[in-house]
Amino acid sequence: MWRLNAVRHKAGRQGSDLEEFKFKRREHEKELRRARKDSQLVSKRLLLNDDEEEDGTMDTLASDRVLELFNIVRHGRDLVKKEADLRALRKALRSPSAHLILIKQPNSIAILVTNLCGPNPQCRLEAARCLHELSHSPHSEVDSLRLRQATPYLITFLSGQSPKFTELCLYTLGNMCPDSENVRDMLLAQGIIPALNNCIQIHRTNLAVVEAVGFTLSQLISANYVTGTIIPAVLASGLIPRLLSVLTPDSQFGLGPVIECAWCLHYLACSNVDNGALVAQGTLLHCTSLLVTLGVAVAKGSIEEGIELLIWPLLRCVGNLLLSGPLGALQPQLNDSRLLAALCAFPQAFLQTHPALARESIWVLNNLTDSSVFCSALFYLNLVPALIQLLPFSHGINIMVLRVLGNIAHQGREYCLHLAQAGLLPALCATLKMADTEVVTFSLEVLGQLMASDPQLAEEFVRQSGLPVLEAIQYSNQETIRLRATHLLEHHLPPHCTVRTLP
Amino acid sequence: MLQPELIQLLTASDLVDLRIDAIPKLQVGFRPGCFFSSSRSQDGEAKLTFIPQQILLNKDHELFEDGDIHRHLYLQNLSTCPAYDSPTARQCEFRCYISGCSQVFSTVEDYEHHYNTLHRHVCSSCQRSLPSARLLDIHIQEWHDSLFSILAERQDMYQCLVEGCGSKFRTRDQRKDHMIKIHKYPSDFMFDKVKRIKNIKIAKKNMLQKGTSMEVSMSVSEPEGVCEVLSDQPEEEEYMEINHSLEPGILDPASNPINTVELSTDHDTAPILSVTIQPTTNQQRPQHNRERHSYRSVFTSNLKWHTISYMVHNMILMYFP
Repeated sequence: MWRLNAVRHKAGRQGSDLEEFKFKRREHEKELRRARKDSQLVSKRLLLNDDEEEDGTMDTLASDRVLELFNIVRHGRDLVKKEADLRALRKALRSPSAHLILIKQPNSIAILVTNLCGPNPQCRLEAARCLHELSHSPHSEVDSLRLRQATPYLITFLSGQSPKFTELCLYTLGNMCPDSENVRDMLLAQGIIPALNNCIQIHRTNLAVVEAVGFTLSQLISANYVTGTIIPAVLASGLIPRLLSVLTPDSQFGLGPVIECAWCLHYLACSNVDNGALVAQGTLLHCTSLLVTLGVAVAKGSIEEGIELLIWPLLRCVGNLLLSGPLGALQPQLNDSRLLAALCAFPQAFLQTHPALARESIWVLNNLTDSSVFCSALFYLNLVPALIQLLPFSHGINIMVLRVLGNIAHQGREYCLHLAQAGLLPALCATLKMADTEVVTFSLEVLGQLMASDPQLAEEFVRQSGLPVLEAIQYSNQETIRLRATHLLEHHLPPHCTVRTLP
Repeated sequence: MLQPELIQLLTASDLVDLRIDAIPKLQVGFRPGCFFSSSRSQDGEAKLTFIPQQILLNKDHELFEDGDIHRHLYLQNLSTCPAYDSPTARQCEFRCYISGCSQVFSTVEDYEHHYNTLHRHVCSSCQRSLPSARLLDIHIQEWHDSLFSILAERQDMYQCLVEGCGSKFRTRDQRKDHMIKIHKYPSDFMFDKVKRIKNIKIAKKNMLQKGTSMEVSMSVSEPEGVCEVLSDQPEEEEYMEINHSLEPGILDPASNPINTVELSTDHDTAPILSVTIQPTTNQQRPQHNRERHSYRSVFTSNLKWHTISYMVHNMILMYFP
């Protein structure tokens, strides 16, 4: 299984071939980035069975025998023996080359489906495992269309009572979802969404199944060309409240189920189909609550492994939902001031390990600070210095922080004065010298607002030796910053300053 | 890692009222109209354009890339690794904005040293960088002030270059002698400087070709309307520039990556020199330069390279601003 604690064991076992592991991982990451650029970022999961290891001993002899094993299964009449035959076949299918051999056999999938629906529960299980192996196949010939005979049954079984079997069906379906538009349409028509809703309700206490439901749903709604029908169907299905009820991490089981549900919510929110409905069903409230809980955990120093996998989708969901209506209307769902503290804590905690997460956290703050209520709260809680400290950092972080500071300054003179009290002017003197033109542009904008709001601030800027910096920018070959710097020098400096604009 | 105030905020007890609507909203006093009008310049064009903006990010946005990669590595069972090779936050670099310079520094202090050394006291007429404000003033006065040469015929106008001395002299020679005798400057101290000839040719040529657009983009206001061109003297071509510092250790002013784009008018000027002293007093340039050429030139290979690379750089800038 891939669950976080299990994987930890595996990574620890590497030892001497750690370098190789790291190298493989780097290569893999590059591939994933390329895939994302091509909108082909897709992952499948393989459920391991208790009697085998993940990349362990593949019985190569058995894989050569797959044809023979299949024929035994096909022709066998003894139900008791059939279970053993199916198990042998399943083990042979651990080897991907066996997949190609099997699907070339006529009616191979039909035979498996027969056993899937057969009277013997163990046979059903083994048949399901065979199909699951095929769903995870690296070969493009073994695609979901080939397996489509199985889907109506897999979907039906989601409403069954057996957790282990249900889990298998779920992951098999989840692996099939990203393959093509046609497959998704077919699954939709066959009723996958009500089935998922039923499933999560029936098995709500079994967190492994809940995780599987979350995974399958996320595969369904995150696939590239999501049609207009899938997301509205999900929103209308009653799944949302069930997903939200999962958002309380179980300390024993781990973060897996919550992570999957959170990613589902993110995919729903960023599609922007009907975010009002999401908010009405309590998504914003639950997600911000969980973010606060995670913020508290981070503050206490208990940063669980994989916690960022949970923080990420929650930030994205909240960030996008903030645009679903005027902030004033959303405020009741955002009433915990610790949310602001958490949004400032995450960048501090994750700056070195996951700078992109830091940036997204501040993006959420940007969407929040479009309102004077939250800007006031930032001052009241004395959170602005923490933001200013992030200004030296690139990777898009300082630009996002400057946006937030610009939002605050825009609120009015008193806000500008408070910003100056928090030490913004010397920090701007530094950002104005940075290499990134965008940083300088935003810095000039923020500075412009500060100086325009009160002449004291312009004088303070001059006292901080800011004048030569502006003058220097006039010599830049970048027009955007040149024009702004000149404008500030001409219009916003105190009258007694000698301004050295370009001749 | 986490600041104490943040920790305290997040782990505050239940007794503290944490509700946003309980926080008093900062009141804004009357906001004078100038706030908005001053974001526009006199021609009404908006110069400062920032407004608060909520940002919606869709699934495939580039800002989401790292998080997505992390998610899929986890799905594919590769996320946990003892030494995670994730991108770490970098501190921003600093860049010198003087056009033609574009040097990059990793700390503010490095940048400030560079700027203060090379770009601080620059003569706007001839783009020479002088080591101090006082020397800049003297330079401007002696070389770019037409009144100066008139007055100098009748009174002592050439100031001693040493701060606090206050002596004035009728000729440059007298000043030089004074500085050698009284202030113990070395007699072979290089008091003068020849023009940067090659730059002039390029500057002039480019100026003629692209004059207007460059001017418009670079200049904002024209105090006197006079920018002095370096030179039209073709015979000076043969002389490579010899630039010397006023004091040892100060960077050679001529190695400044000065933007010669600002030259806009043809003007009959005195020879362009740094504040160092000239051996002859007359203002005729051709002979002047030839004699100066006889001075010992202090050329480092670095300077030569820098001169050439700077000129090339400027050429590039002129054609591709």
